[in-house]
Amino acid sequence: MPESTQNAPPAPETAATGQPPATQDLRFSAQSTGQPFEVAVLALQNLTLFPETVVPLGIGRPRSLAAVESALATPEKLLACVTVRPDRSDDTDATSADLYEVGTLTMIKRMERTNEGMRIIVQGTERIRVVEWKQQDPQLRAVVEILPPPRTVDAEQVEATKRNLQQMITEALALLPNVPPEVRIAVLGSAEPTRLSYFLASILNLGVEEEQKMLEANTADELVRLAHTNLAREVEILQLRSKIATEAQTEMDKAQRDYVLRQQMRAIQKELGEDETGEAAETELLRERLDKAELPEEVRAEADRELKRLQRLPAAAPDYHVIRTYLEFILELPWLKSSEDKLDLAEARRILDEDHYGLEDVKERILEFLAVIKLRPDTKSPILLFVGPPGVGKTSLGRSIARSLGRQFERMSLGGVRDEAELRGHRRTYIGAMPGRIIQSIRRAGVNNPVMMLDEVDKLGNDYRGDPAAALLEILDPQQNNSFRDHYLDLPFDLSRIFFIATANQLGPIPPPLRDRMEIIPLAGYSDREKLEIARRYLIPRQTTENGLNTGQLKIADDAVELIAARYTREAGVRQLERTVGSIARKVALKIAQAQAENVTVTAKDLREYLGPPRFYPEQARKELPAGVATGMAWTEMGGEVLFIEATLLPGGRGLTITGQLGEVMQESARAAQSYLWSHAAEFGIEPEIFKEFGVHLHVPAGAIPKDGPSAGVTITSALASLYTGRRVRPDTAMTGEITLSGLVFPIGGVKEKVLAAYRAGIRRIILPSRNEADVDDIPEDVRDDLQIVFVSRIAEVLDAALEVLVANPPPQPPSIVDGGRSRQPEPEPLSVKS
Amino acid sequence: MRDIDKEFSLIRTDRRVIPSGRLWNPAADVYRSDDGWVVKVDLAGVCADELEIEIHDSMLRIRGCRRDKHYRDGFVYHQMEITYSRFEKSIQFPAPIEGASIRHDYTDGFLIINVRREQD
Repeated sequence: MPESTQNAPPAPETAATGQPPATQDLRFSAQSTGQPFEVAVLALQNLTLFPETVVPLGIGRPRSLAAVESALATPEKLLACVTVRPDRSDDTDATSADLYEVGTLTMIKRMERTNEGMRIIVQGTERIRVVEWKQQDPQLRAVVEILPPPRTVDAEQVEATKRNLQQMITEALALLPNVPPEVRIAVLGSAEPTRLSYFLASILNLGVEEEQKMLEANTADELVRLAHTNLAREVEILQLRSKIATEAQTEMDKAQRDYVLRQQMRAIQKELGEDETGEAAETELLRERLDKAELPEEVRAEADRELKRLQRLPAAAPDYHVIRTYLEFILELPWLKSSEDKLDLAEARRILDEDHYGLEDVKERILEFLAVIKLRPDTKSPILLFVGPPGVGKTSLGRSIARSLGRQFERMSLGGVRDEAELRGHRRTYIGAMPGRIIQSIRRAGVNNPVMMLDEVDKLGNDYRGDPAAALLEILDPQQNNSFRDHYLDLPFDLSRIFFIATANQLGPIPPPLRDRMEIIPLAGYSDREKLEIARRYLIPRQTTENGLNTGQLKIADDAVELIAARYTREAGVRQLERTVGSIARKVALKIAQAQAENVTVTAKDLREYLGPPRFYPEQARKELPAGVATGMAWTEMGGEVLFIEATLLPGGRGLTITGQLGEVMQESARAAQSYLWSHAAEFGIEPEIFKEFGVHLHVPAGAIPKDGPSAGVTITSALASLYTGRRVRPDTAMTGEITLSGLVFPIGGVKEKVLAAYRAGIRRIILPSRNEADVDDIPEDVRDDLQIVFVSRIAEVLDAALEVLVANPPPQPPSIVDGGRSRQPEPEPLSVKS
Repeated sequence: MRDIDKEFSLIRTDRRVIPSGRLWNPAADVYRSDDGWVVKVDLAGVCADELEIEIHDSMLRIRGCRRDKHYRDGFVYHQMEITYSRFEKSIQFPAPIEGASIRHDYTDGFLIINVRREQD
């Protein structure tokens, strides 16, 4: 502090005589002499008292009380107020060492006793400096000298700053709604810069240091400048606060409402005794469970991290539940828990046989895999793909595999899944995020090595949300799936111990890379004999008990079962067969319940009574085929079909008309067939003129069903050859095979289904490509024995075998020439073909 | 006069500071008389010897100080409401009064000042 004792007050003009300008308040009394004098000192905590302000003070500390008492005992009630330095931390009664040197002389205006001590109102008069401490106890006393009021150096500057101050004060007052009008008037009306600054200093929350700085300012310039700086900062804060307050208003209201409701809910829960565990208890519980759980290191570390976050959050925070759910999910996952395989091959065989009839080669493949697992337990589990028509037992086969291995079985249908996130989960940042289906079924299984069945992989969709098949690529890749990362979990999980089994009705829609990862096991449809066995062993007993009948109360004769399979159902599997058996069982149950019968045996004759007229009249071999018609065979998802290909000449027409919803491949094979016959007309005894004079219309019923594939090649050729030569196709013969323009016959797929369909239709003679000879082994022996199969490798051989000899109707089988036969193909569905 | 509670409540909550006015501003009545002015000031408890009265142009100024003279050793304040303070009271007249003769009297706690015009 610059000014000190010597330039202290040229003490006021007291003994007034008339000349003094008498502008300001005048200093009378003891201190007015300008000499240092002794006075009681009050130590102020966290507060600086300025001249020309009135301040109420609560007095409680012993030294303070003593100082005030002592001041009151003087005629003029003067008391010096000096602020305690802020660095003094403890809260005890301050001593002189703790105080600043510059303070304010005050006059006590009012005093009142209270329970805690007293309340006083003091009025600051002028600044003082402590010259010498006189006494510490019972009260502080010091010799002080009066400091002059801050003098003005640059009056214009001070005035300008002051106006600026007033402007700012107006702004600030607009932001403070609760200012008493007295203060408002006092502040705005205060014209004197020093006075205004002091007042501002005392109402703003500046902190002791800053306040003291203002008190010690010796020039008005500095004082006003400090006031300006501080007020500017204060106004800025006020503006910011009011802006935030406005913005936050709505949000606050909602949050407060939520808070109140939540508190009420908590109170209700407490009343209901549901609030046993608080938040802290909850996290503690989670920690205990984490400690107990077997977790890989990486998982444990992540879980701990999340738990720490959880502890810092209040239960009301939205993240709280997200994290808690996540942690609970981690706890529920079988990270290291696996079931033990029971690898008894004989037992496995028994279980497979018990659950499924037939399917010999499939069972064989499964047993082979089990044997490998037994020899090398750390082998990566195989990924099987069962392909076959509906109802042939793909899913239940999976269940049997799980049973024979002693593993958990989990099945999920992928039909219609079109979002990658369904398999792989959503990131936790999303509201309502969930783990993907893979991880969820592992949690359900409770072990990390279940048999997991992915049903209907051929029905996966895909769109802009991603391609689930691509996600399956990772899941099913033994090289990658030991650290599969679900988006929700965001931790690697080992899928390599899972025994994946996929099923599909068709191979076609499965993307090649996915197909490539799986061991494909085709399941063909069942023959009638197999269906009979399955009905006898599984379906009839099951439906009997399901419909509340006792064993022996319902008997269905074999001929009835055969008739049901042939006339009341049309399928490759046995689902419809089972349903039909079920409806018979219900009708029998009604009879028995009404006591009309004790037990019932259903024979073929009774079926009309139970089921009404037969629903299907499958395409039967026609007794006679006109020239230009040939019998073909088609493969459908439902199994096989026979279909007829019809051709007719159009006199005066041109070219080849093709109808019957044929796909491009099939149309092309029709053209190839015509071209071949045309080019080899002489060889087959065809009038070349006929190609010029007549057009041909080729039709494949039923017209509403799309068909495609090259396997109808030989049938089309036969039909056309029959048309051109007039020799009929033998009605007891069905054929299939792809042709080439050079007259070769190529192999096709689906031999078993096709042959069985033909057999069902009453056909006993089949023409097959010779390269399909191996597939004949798939055909059940009883059927095979009943059939005459002709293998061909050239079109000429086909025609030899297919066409009747020109002369009469019932020729023996071997070749001959002339005369038409035909074949037909009813209700074909896409003719699927492989070569 | 505001009582102490009112004073407390008027002051802003955190700091409860108000700017001060005059330390003490005693009330005064002014009469116009035939030959000048009579000024009556409410100045109980002020020692007349310590008063200073001066005239400057048309301004009458009274200064002084009220001190607590009843306090004795052994007294303890229980309540204090009277302002003991120096004061200054200025009274503006419509015309200059310089040169007027002044006489003052101190009765019943009032200071009575007679200002007699020069002409008289």
